[in-house]
Amino acid sequence: MSLGAAEVISKTRNASVGGDKPPLIDIRNLRVTFPSGGAEPKAVLKGIDLAVQPGEIVGLVGESGAGKTTLARSILGLPPSPGRIAGGEVHFEGRQILSLSESELRRLRGHRLSVVVPNPRAELNPLLKVGDQIAAMAKIHLGVGGKEARRMALEILREVQIPDPERRMDAYPHELSGGMAQRVVIAMALICSPAFVISDDATSGLDVTVQAQILALLAKLAADHGSAMLFISRDVGITAHFCDRIAVLFSGEIVEIAPREPLFLEPAHPYTLMLLAAFSHSPKLRDSWSVPDTGRRRERNAGCQYADRCPIAQPVCRTQRPPFAEIGPGHFVRCYFPVRHA
Amino acid sequence: MRILAYLAKRLIFVIPQLLGIVLVSFLLVKSIPGDPAVLMLGPTATPSAIASLRQQLGLDQPLYVQFLIYVRNLLHGDLGTSWQTTRPVLEDLLQRFPATLELVTLSLLLAIVVGVTLGVYAARKPNGWVARLADLYGLSAGALPDFWFALVLIFIFYTVLGWAPAPLGRIDMIVIPPLPVTGALTIDALLAGDLQAFWSACAHLVLPVLTLGLLNAGPILKMTQATMEKMLESDFSRFEVLCGVPQNLVVRHALRNALPSIVTIISVLYGFLIGGAVLVEIVFSWGGAGQYAVQGVLNSDIYPVLGFVLFSAIFSLIVYIAVDLIYFLLDPRISN
Repeated sequence: MSLGAAEVISKTRNASVGGDKPPLIDIRNLRVTFPSGGAEPKAVLKGIDLAVQPGEIVGLVGESGAGKTTLARSILGLPPSPGRIAGGEVHFEGRQILSLSESELRRLRGHRLSVVVPNPRAELNPLLKVGDQIAAMAKIHLGVGGKEARRMALEILREVQIPDPERRMDAYPHELSGGMAQRVVIAMALICSPAFVISDDATSGLDVTVQAQILALLAKLAADHGSAMLFISRDVGITAHFCDRIAVLFSGEIVEIAPREPLFLEPAHPYTLMLLAAFSHSPKLRDSWSVPDTGRRRERNAGCQYADRCPIAQPVCRTQRPPFAEIGPGHFVRCYFPVRHA
Repeated sequence: MRILAYLAKRLIFVIPQLLGIVLVSFLLVKSIPGDPAVLMLGPTATPSAIASLRQQLGLDQPLYVQFLIYVRNLLHGDLGTSWQTTRPVLEDLLQRFPATLELVTLSLLLAIVVGVTLGVYAARKPNGWVARLADLYGLSAGALPDFWFALVLIFIFYTVLGWAPAPLGRIDMIVIPPLPVTGALTIDALLAGDLQAFWSACAHLVLPVLTLGLLNAGPILKMTQATMEKMLESDFSRFEVLCGVPQNLVVRHALRNALPSIVTIISVLYGFLIGGAVLVEIVFSWGGAGQYAVQGVLNSDIYPVLGFVLFSAIFSLIVYIAVDLIYFLLDPRISN
């Protein structure tokens, strides 16, 4: 295991910390707010910085309400209603895409930047055949004719390993199982071979066995099509299987980001430890890092967002925002007291 | 194949449905106070003359016997005779029903064009000025009485501007109406190749169609707006936007999903307008079926009323079956 791990780490470092290669997508200080009842809108993303290299798979984990879906949509310039992008930049293929016109941005969506959504049976148009919905992506974005688009749709249906793809082309969404519908959504996301795919909790509604198949498929296809991926999940365990780097999102900010091995072997942020402990079989580990969420939140927290739930919080944590410090190669953590591993 | 099986099942139920409608309307019409014999013979009639006429009309029989006689006659294609026009009700209705149908159908087409267009544009931008205009329109269309609106239109376009013909019937007095084939004057005029009659009929249609069309666009507009807003906020529309589908296409797809609700409200309006157009018919001296039925109610002339109810019921059933067929074509979830 140790040799394999070391190999993976060195490979990942080359991919993500290399520095000389410009990132494929560079999210800088992205902030999204939602109108609240009061004068001050509620900040949902509090300055996200995240860069992804071409071909890299970055995991993003966090609990419900951390802002995962808001981030996924905001990268495409479509924050969930009634949220709005309050600041920040998203650089993609040499352009700051948040400043593009709506029609230029629309041409990127589904073409160069695409998204795989959860709950696919509700996301597909119930009145259109799935083959037509997939082919429409190619027609709209690649400008190919109807026949060619259909051929491409059939090919991508084969790639996502749908049984009997010729027949499924003419199926309607309600005739598909959840797993098959998810494959259709993946086919739609990948038919134009996008440079960047966002998978937003894509497997949350599926059986565990189907989940594993879909994830393996997603990783393979991203590699085949040369797409980088932001893999968003609530399940930190899943990301261990195929993400090069993993970012931990808590309450609208990234509290820790590291290549895969350091994150799992030397997690430094108390929240990351809590997440990992929650999936652990060791009761001792669970008890020492899991603090029940009392639901108590201060309206404006000048310090660390996690301080209220942190078992090792000190007074300074509540008054000043900790810096995003590099504690290892490519391993950043936003904490005054990062946990050290002997 | 499923569609044929479904159609057959629907048609089997048509006969009992119609029988039920006839029974209920017969009882209701009979419960209206007023003795047709008295009205027919006038104030100077002797009691014995009234009694003999009652006997002749079968009015002295018990109610269920009267009903059975009516149904037996119906089965022979006899809808009774109107004592006001002294003609068979079937003949009267075959002449008047197409007049109403022509008016109502054209009005509904106008209402659909106005209502759906405005509804779709309002739903695209729920806070835009079109949406505000649509709210105002829906409110006014619901609040304005149709006969009053008709009188306003007549005042402006006939009395003041002189653009519209006099509101006296369906065609100019001096124009010879075409030979009735369908009963709709515009179609019959075209069939006869009589352009003068065609344009005259069209000119007479403009104001009543505007009245009914513009006012009945209100409910269609509201339904379109509400359903389209829901569809445009739905997961699949949002996903299409995330996939970079152009807005026009997103709206078209959403409209297809909204169509079943819109078709439903249109079909309800269609059935309702057959009788609901009566005030406008009166204002324009249209001579339609609604006007005929109201005259019947006011003069205890029950056979025109029952005949009208029967015609409307058959018409509504046809419309509803057509709507079900449209659902089949629109939604694969029903047809499979």
